[in-house]
Amino acid sequence: MSTTDPKLLRKALLREKSARKQAEKILEDKSRELYSLTQELQVVNEKLKAGLTETTSELKGLFENLVDAYVLMDVSGNIIKMNDAATELFGYNLKENKINVTELIHKDDFQYAMTSFQELIRKGSFSDYQARVYTKNKGVRTVHINASLILDKKNNPIAAQGIVRDITKKLELESDRKFLIKSLEKNNIELKNFAHIVSHDLKSPLRSINALVNWLREDYASVYDEAAEQTFDMLIKKVDQMDRLITGILKYSSIDKATYPKEHIDLNVVVNDIIDIIFIPNHVSVAIEGLLPVVKGDKFRLQQLFQNIMSNAVNYIEKEVGIVTVSVRELPEFWEFAITDNGKGISKKYQKKIFEIFQTLEDNERSTGIGLSIVKKVIDYYEGTIWIESEIGIGSTFYFTLKKDLK
Amino acid sequence: MKPLSFLLIEDDLIETLKFKRVLATMETKHRISEANNGEEALEKLKSPEALPDVILLDLNMPKMNGIEFLKILKDDPVLKYIPAIILSTSNHHDDILECYKIGIAGYIMKPLRYEDYTHKIKSLVSYWSSNEFIKG
Repeated sequence: MSTTDPKLLRKALLREKSARKQAEKILEDKSRELYSLTQELQVVNEKLKAGLTETTSELKGLFENLVDAYVLMDVSGNIIKMNDAATELFGYNLKENKINVTELIHKDDFQYAMTSFQELIRKGSFSDYQARVYTKNKGVRTVHINASLILDKKNNPIAAQGIVRDITKKLELESDRKFLIKSLEKNNIELKNFAHIVSHDLKSPLRSINALVNWLREDYASVYDEAAEQTFDMLIKKVDQMDRLITGILKYSSIDKATYPKEHIDLNVVVNDIIDIIFIPNHVSVAIEGLLPVVKGDKFRLQQLFQNIMSNAVNYIEKEVGIVTVSVRELPEFWEFAITDNGKGISKKYQKKIFEIFQTLEDNERSTGIGLSIVKKVIDYYEGTIWIESEIGIGSTFYFTLKKDLK
Repeated sequence: MKPLSFLLIEDDLIETLKFKRVLATMETKHRISEANNGEEALEKLKSPEALPDVILLDLNMPKMNGIEFLKILKDDPVLKYIPAIILSTSNHHDDILECYKIGIAGYIMKPLRYEDYTHKIKSLVSYWSSNEFIKG
């Protein structure tokens, strides 16, 4: 056997050649693959790099622009980093001073701060911690802190960070507000009591005057002439008027303050009761047109509302036959009531004015100028509206609305 | 009409005069004992033989006011049985409620007109005249 057989040799060579070619091809393919992979990797890498800077700058922006103060410290409390808000709040510059947080905490809150710090180490975070701190320029401030630990790969704490918010102003405002509400409540009670005390103190002497005048009349009847009797009459009338005023003011002041039980009130009963109670001149008749609804509210205010409009209506009719009607119209959310009279009417320019307290359109001894202002106050209390349609010489209609569910 | 004994607790002189004057016009001669305020009234109620049949009480008084007096009265094991009637110018809902809560036998508003006052007091006296009281 010889290897020098040229035929065989050539064959072997050929085989080798083709094998190398094949290998070369594989190599080429692989290297192309590798190249594209590297290319791809490079893109990914670029992207990663870009992403990284993006996150860092995002964080940096957040850190700088955070409205709240941000403080980073090591586990012994030495401050490593503060944002602008923190520098502004505490007034210290890290470049100039070395600060440990324990120096900043108010002495009375120190123990509490240490306990909270222990909790932070144990649990990894705490929130809603509130304490007083010393600042360089702003004195003692009350701050709210949320803090968390920063851990290394082996879960050992290496630093702590906290978001610090100055709540001094907020607390001041809150306590101001509480104080205001409290004094308002006190004022309201005082005002309510004041009205009652004053009215008692004013009413008592009137009762005395009335009695004394009556005694004079009784005891010295034989010596008085008719003129004296008239003087007594006028005196008694003035006392009456004064008493009505006081009663009216008291009612007016209690309309939106007193609490009365809320119940189902049949307005037909209320209005019929009023017809029985109030003084109705002989030439005037009062009637309910149709059926009035049952509303949920308090009897006192509803009666004041209807009674004052009704007495007003019956009192100013000069025609031979006076007619006053009470009617109602149902609307989706409201009842619209109308109290109509054929009295002398109210001129347009007075239609607003008559609801103001102490406003009377004529010099009438019986009118105090309080009745319609009570009406307005009841309407305001029940969040309704009231208006007048009136023509001089023909009559007036008082319209008002009441919600179907009164407060 | 059976004669009664009243304890009138009232700081206003004219109010006292009014009450006495109305009673003076009645046929039956009732007895009236007076106190200017709650403290004085409690002093008068110390002697057990002189206890009144009915107490008439004003609410607004100096020193001890009507409601304070009423509370002490109703806390006393003996005095609590004496009917107490309020005479007041106030028809303040809270006052009326408070008085009934503590325990009163009536609440009378002092009317403005003397003739109305006369009428109210006369009806009050004749009502209580027809009542039986715990004696001894």
